[in-house]
Amino acid sequence: MKQWMCMNCGYTYDPEAGDATQGIEPGTAWEDLPDDWICPHCAANKESFELEED
Amino acid sequence: MAASALQPLEDLDQPDFDAFAVERAMRGNHPDPYPLLERLRRQGSIHKLELHGLFSDEPDVEMSPLSHYAVLGYDACNRVLMDGETFTNKEAFQHSLGKSFGRTVTVMDGAEHERFRKVLQKAFLPKVVARWGDSLVAPVVDRLMSKFIDRGEADLITEYTHHFPFQIIYSMLLLDPDQAERFHKLAVAQLLSSAGHPQGPEATRKLGTFFAALLAQRRANPGDDLVSHLATVEVDGQYLDDDVLIAFLRQLVNAGGDTTYRATSILLTCLLNEPDLYEIVRRDRTLLPRAIEEALRWDGPVTTTFRYCQKDTEIDGVLIPEGSIVDVCLGSANRDPTKFENPNKFDINRERTVRHLSFAGGPHICVGQHLARVEMTRAMEAILDNLNNLRLDPDMPPPQIIGYVLRSPEHLYVKFDKA
Repeated sequence: MKQWMCMNCGYTYDPEAGDATQGIEPGTAWEDLPDDWICPHCAANKESFELEED
Repeated sequence: MAASALQPLEDLDQPDFDAFAVERAMRGNHPDPYPLLERLRRQGSIHKLELHGLFSDEPDVEMSPLSHYAVLGYDACNRVLMDGETFTNKEAFQHSLGKSFGRTVTVMDGAEHERFRKVLQKAFLPKVVARWGDSLVAPVVDRLMSKFIDRGEADLITEYTHHFPFQIIYSMLLLDPDQAERFHKLAVAQLLSSAGHPQGPEATRKLGTFFAALLAQRRANPGDDLVSHLATVEVDGQYLDDDVLIAFLRQLVNAGGDTTYRATSILLTCLLNEPDLYEIVRRDRTLLPRAIEEALRWDGPVTTTFRYCQKDTEIDGVLIPEGSIVDVCLGSANRDPTKFENPNKFDINRERTVRHLSFAGGPHICVGQHLARVEMTRAMEAILDNLNNLRLDPDMPPPQIIGYVLRSPEHLYVKFDKA
């Protein structure tokens, strides 16, 4: 499963869960996140994330 | 790498100085700050006051003279933490942790902070620390438990929780185990600067000398340990600055151990105060992560962190002037009823739709949060697996969580069936 991890804090964006804190619906793919979306834990931008594949 | 090739860490000039007793006195013995925090939060999420003065008779010689605003509501706390441009760290911590540890990431902001933070965080990402569960954590908790498991009774604070996270860090750094006691003393003594004790700067200096030699040694002959990694990692073709690495190691041996020991102690207190709940968790280990997160929320080890306000900013109708120290009360945010139903109840089954702020948030969110969870899990599993019929000792005082900024019980007297 593809997930994206924030290299500033270790938070993982799970597309199945979305991000309720910023109104991101469950099922939202990483590519569909708005450019101004930030890590909900540390406020880092999308460029701080790296793809993690299990 | 043989740790014995290094000169040992130099002891304090006054070897019998009880850093632990002085540190306990500094922390105070406030039994329960939450009722007062709740009253204040009901009146408003932001107040012009210094929280320290409400809960401790011991003045903070560095921080108390400054102008403070206390932030108590969850949303207000989260806003301050997430806005690292307006609410910065350097000016908030340079007189306290900056003096104790040096040029740590805690006293950096902006691009400088981002540069070092990413390198340090990479060494503590979830996949990295998960591997340490077997290699580092298990041997330490087993060794500590072996000293009392045949006795049928113990003080789980003074014999277990107060040691295991520190000793895990010593293992991580490949430090000489025979020096564990001295490292622990000087790690704690570093923070005494904020109360004006000369042993504070003395401990900072002596740990700095030791870590400088350690970095040089590992850089010359690297192994696969954390210090070797940090000593040899390059960013833009250069090693990381030694003063930053030394400050990080000073902070690691202090905060990395202290917060986990307190959090584990509070979790154990919560569970042993409810024997039925302890038994439920013992039988169903899938509940352990929920219990850990709930203990962190309900009474996290660090109730307050600090930021410096860079420009006049209005939050919830209150103007926080430029130049103010902002007391961000994580403990109050975690009991905000607009986010957590029945917040004063320790409830491992509560819905987890809102994250607790016990590891803070924003650019300075706790680097060691993932390691803390691994350490707490392994320490609890060792207890749940090995101490049969564990219960509070009815003939000894019950555990009491005390303190304001840093909280924990001092003792946790238990009985169990002998192995």
